[in-house]
Amino acid sequence: MEEIEKAVEEILATVKADKEKVMEDLKKFVDYGVPLEQAKEAVMSKYGEVVKEKKLKDIEAGERNICTIGKIIAIDEREVEVRGERRKIYRGLLGDDTAILPFTAWKDFGLNKGDVIRIENASSSEWEGQPRLSLSEWSGVEKVDYDIELVKRAPQRYNLMDLKPGLSNVEVRGKILSIDEREVNIGGEIRKVFSGTMADETAKIRFTAWKDFGLQKDDVIKIKNAYVRKWRGAPQLIFDENSTVEKIDEKIVMEERVTPLYKIVEAGGGIDVLMEGVILDVRDDSGIIFRCPECNRKLRDGICEEHGEVEGKADLRIRALLDDGTGAVEVIFNREISEKLLGKGMEDYMEVAEEAMDYSIVHEDIIDKIVTKPVRVKGDSLSSDFIVTIFARDAQIIKIDKEKEMEELMMQLEGLQ
Amino acid sequence: MREPAWRIFAAEYNEANHVIESKGEKKPRYVLTPLGAKVNRLFIIGVLTDVEEIGAEGIRRRARISDPTGIHVVYAEAFEPEVASILADMEVPSFIAVVGKARIYEPEEGMLYVSARAEMAKRSDEESRDYWIMETCRSTLMRINAMKDAMSMNSPTAKQLRELGYPPMVAEGVSEALKVYEDVDMEHYEMMVREAISFITTGKKEVRKGYEEEQEKLLKIIAEMQGEDGAIWDEVIEEATKQGMERSVVEEVMVILLEKGRIYEPQLGKIKMV
Repeated sequence: MEEIEKAVEEILATVKADKEKVMEDLKKFVDYGVPLEQAKEAVMSKYGEVVKEKKLKDIEAGERNICTIGKIIAIDEREVEVRGERRKIYRGLLGDDTAILPFTAWKDFGLNKGDVIRIENASSSEWEGQPRLSLSEWSGVEKVDYDIELVKRAPQRYNLMDLKPGLSNVEVRGKILSIDEREVNIGGEIRKVFSGTMADETAKIRFTAWKDFGLQKDDVIKIKNAYVRKWRGAPQLIFDENSTVEKIDEKIVMEERVTPLYKIVEAGGGIDVLMEGVILDVRDDSGIIFRCPECNRKLRDGICEEHGEVEGKADLRIRALLDDGTGAVEVIFNREISEKLLGKGMEDYMEVAEEAMDYSIVHEDIIDKIVTKPVRVKGDSLSSDFIVTIFARDAQIIKIDKEKEMEELMMQLEGLQ
Repeated sequence: MREPAWRIFAAEYNEANHVIESKGEKKPRYVLTPLGAKVNRLFIIGVLTDVEEIGAEGIRRRARISDPTGIHVVYAEAFEPEVASILADMEVPSFIAVVGKARIYEPEEGMLYVSARAEMAKRSDEESRDYWIMETCRSTLMRINAMKDAMSMNSPTAKQLRELGYPPMVAEGVSEALKVYEDVDMEHYEMMVREAISFITTGKKEVRKGYEEEQEKLLKIIAEMQGEDGAIWDEVIEEATKQGMERSVVEEVMVILLEKGRIYEPQLGKIKMV
């Protein structure tokens, strides 16, 4: 008897049917002497391949044919290149009363924030240690006309440095460094949004508030139930009418600290970050380049893709690979910083290159001067597709105080248990 | 994600005898060291002590790079002719920097030799080398700490180590290393770091020589003492010190000869010429 009940549960886990009926049908088969396993299959096929909706918390990575109902908490579109073709994909967060999961939609289902949808035939993969739903060409998505409750779990507290896109229900504290108000048109409705930057002791981050919380510069606040998405190659904190914001009487003292590169790679970028690493490679397009005087784009063989053949403006820039042993990022140095790192001006390089009638001589000198050199860089990330790209605001070659460093290492060694 | 370039001392890297094959599309392979470094790419700065031509194409090179703890073996393959020619043109001895991929040679089950396949090679200088030693000490100390933390746990997992603040690669590597390496001798590695630190702080050694003369001298001693079953290691060292070589130099030269394949160990503690 127990076995039959177990079988009924298993059937109900995969098909949608009435429990009493399933039990009745199953018993009938068993009474005729049909082995339980076969009876189970027979009953399942009777109720068809109707897949039962799953709660989000029960979804594991690597599942197929998932059916579920959830509410879109956040969504944004981005362009990616798939087999040489640009296409739009949609990323966001889907929630129900048990969990919140990140999702990716590989086609436009016309989804908006706040929609409650029923999904059929989705799949899941692992992403950052948690399942991520994937809605493909073959998935069915329909809006339903009722609202659902969202999970109420204790928000998790984070340092700003540990925030990465896809996290939701986070609690953070920080100081508002800047804030601006603007109006946006969302589906015909004009809404006020507030964006700016905030900081705690570990990092700075851009934020957007979809509601007027009366925030001002220098306020120190605690935010509960915010979420994180990626914007312009860096994580961005979002809070809205579902979030609570409270001003707190705390001091936040920001100090310069070096962020290990794996942290930046994990977060998918960051703003105003200080890092240290060794330059392990200089990309081929580093050195003297020519830009369009109209739009500043880099010319290819004297031609701007927008303005055609133009008289190029010379510029010096370096695109380098920075690696600290824990992670690697790409850093772009503009003319001013490049000149500082190289100890030589662009005009001098122009002269040398024109004399040699070869601009690659500049590239060689850059490799010679900075590859394998330790460098301290401060900057903001611009993008983070295959690799996080940082635009440097300042940089210098690190000079080490050997005695001090060695003393510190010795102390660490002595301090081992 | 681009694999980071591990800073790792030769003594630790060469003692690795486990490989992690990962899943996923590109299936990167990692050399797992006794202290839990999970190395797919590495960065070395040291003294180039030897470059030899290998293979028949005249392109491939094998180089030896000495750091304060031992010797990194680096290959430049025919499909990286630029790197190979940089190695071929470099003076011996001189400071060199190499970025390479972990190279794994497993002639038979249970026998594993690791080295590096160079992606980049460049002349370097003393200051950069010192910075490298410092970074490598730091990274090694972090892993020693992680190993000790993990050893104090009942069943350490990567997740627990992450919660203590270790980078993901270190947390994963250390928890794996504890499973596959038995009785890792932590004191041995602490000593290794200590030696590396004192290499920089106490009386700067000049660029170390390739010990060409000493190699010949030692080979001669071994030839005289080896007989049928090989010369006894300790006796060779004794004889060489008697002839005026420093003990540390003898040991280093022995390693050079072993790695060059000029001598081998027919059984533990004995050496014989090839």
